Amino acid sequence: MISLRGLTKRYGDRLAVDDLSLDLRPGTVTGFLGPNGAGKSTTMRLVLGLDRPSAGTALVGGVPYQRLRNPLRTVGALLDARAVHPGRSGRAHLVALARSNGIARRRVGEVLETVGLAGAAGKRAGTLSLGMSQRLGIAAALLGDPEVLMFDEPVNGLDPDGVRWVRGLMRSLAGEGRTVFVSSHLMSEMQLTADHLVVIGRGRLIADAPLADVIAGSSLTAVLIRTPHADALADRLRAAGIAVDRLGENELEATGAPVERVGDLAHEAGIRLHELRTRQASLEQAYQELTADSVEYGAGR
Amino acid sequence: MNGRTLGQASEPSEATARTSGQESGRPGAMARALWQAAGAEWAKVWSVRSTWWCLACALALTVLTAVTLGGAAATDALRDGAAGVRVTASEPVVSATSFVQFALVALAMLTITAEYASGGIRVTLQATPVRGVVLAAKALVVAPVMFAAGVLSGAVATAAVYLLLSIDVFGGLVALPAADVAFDLLGTGVYYAFAGVLTLGAGAAVRSAAGTLTVVFMLLMGLPLLLLMTGGQVAVDASMRLPMFAGLAFMGSTGNLTGGPIPYPAGEGLAWLVAWTAAALVAGLVVLRRRDA
Repeated sequence: MISLRGLTKRYGDRLAVDDLSLDLRPGTVTGFLGPNGAGKSTTMRLVLGLDRPSAGTALVGGVPYQRLRNPLRTVGALLDARAVHPGRSGRAHLVALARSNGIARRRVGEVLETVGLAGAAGKRAGTLSLGMSQRLGIAAALLGDPEVLMFDEPVNGLDPDGVRWVRGLMRSLAGEGRTVFVSSHLMSEMQLTADHLVVIGRGRLIADAPLADVIAGSSLTAVLIRTPHADALADRLRAAGIAVDRLGENELEATGAPVERVGDLAHEAGIRLHELRTRQASLEQAYQELTADSVEYGAGR
Repeated sequence: MNGRTLGQASEPSEATARTSGQESGRPGAMARALWQAAGAEWAKVWSVRSTWWCLACALALTVLTAVTLGGAAATDALRDGAAGVRVTASEPVVSATSFVQFALVALAMLTITAEYASGGIRVTLQATPVRGVVLAAKALVVAPVMFAAGVLSGAVATAAVYLLLSIDVFGGLVALPAADVAFDLLGTGVYYAFAGVLTLGAGAAVRSAAGTLTVVFMLLMGLPLLLLMTGGQVAVDASMRLPMFAGLAFMGSTGNLTGGPIPYPAGEGLAWLVAWTAAALVAGLVVLRRRDA
């Protein structure tokens, strides 16, 4: 639904987005990860036609965003929850947006209900808490019942209930066959929400893969083995090109091979196993490995 | 693999179909987008308090300034004792525009600079991605609001001036000729409409409220007065072509800071107003289209 080809954005001599090519698929939640300054927000602005790319293209359903008729009915996006006139009520904000794209006015009430803001819709936007502003921004994104949804840090400022609600919302939007693209710094949250991950660092694509593959690819994802013949098995595994660490008298840790292959090798060698299990890395660990070289504003890890 | 190939094969034709569909319906689609965007701008302008504050200020300032100027004109006429001199009640409204306009300029300015201040311009451009349409939609709302504000506040001020000058001291000095009053009030409204759209263009070009106000204040008042004060013929001629005196010429003002009528006809004043407004709009459009939001 969204496809980026060689997308590049240069500010002076700094490349904010560097030759980014990827496709976002319908029916999945794609998590968009990267350190601060990696170019996530810039990428989203480029897709929405707010910034002009230095090179490359960003297409929505095959056309540039600017060519969409009533674009809010195709793409709903929340970039900055505070980007509302502080003196305008949430309802008036949504009414104006609805009129701009020929959206029926009853949708305003519906989306306010959906995000749980119906009671506060008359309050001036400047008086809303960050969490309520996020809900208003999500309401604006949902207004046009769009096929594509983009959210930049949607759980910022939300309480635990709100975070859980956003997770459920993303899952259900993807479940309805929509394309959901969401950036977040909360890895534990992403691990629960996303099906697919796009990781960028310094504007460049680092990973574009299913969540399971990213986690499986981490060096911290390993196969743990308990066996009375640890020495023999370690030799056997190393001979097959698998890295092995000795954890204890009877315990080994093998990395770089799936659990099935380790089990098969043990079986072929006739080695008895007392335990064979996979230890999964967390997304946070996998992410830190991926982006270790591309943290721009780091505190010295 | 097969499905992927099929998908790719179907993409270009689909894109072409969409493109041609939009191209053929383009003027219609553009007009509808403009109409919808103007509706949104209309809803936006009436949903913030600053609009009402600016309108209230404009009304109060118009009445206050017009009454003061009208009283002064009547006093002068009495002192000079010229027989048969009459003060048209709406004349001070026209003279007051130079001062009052800034309350309405603020209204026009906020329709664009407030969006840059809050970041709301990004939401606006998401909803209406063709930038010329956004600017046109704002102008379509600003112009009639300014026109109506000018006519209505002018009418109230005219009535106030008439009432004040009807008291015995001024001995029936005031006149209320319908045609002249209508011309003055409509002219004032048209002038404010131009000033508002000019401000909108400047706001789109400059983006910040402080910067926009500085530019517009200099153009509408600071610069013409500066040039006038230098006294050189070229400078005075130039000042007469700036929007303030062009507007006074268009409104047929006879009593103003130059001490006499503007030295060219009303039509030429209108032409200069159109030119300045168009220049500001073009500047705003160029910046809006070129720069990232």
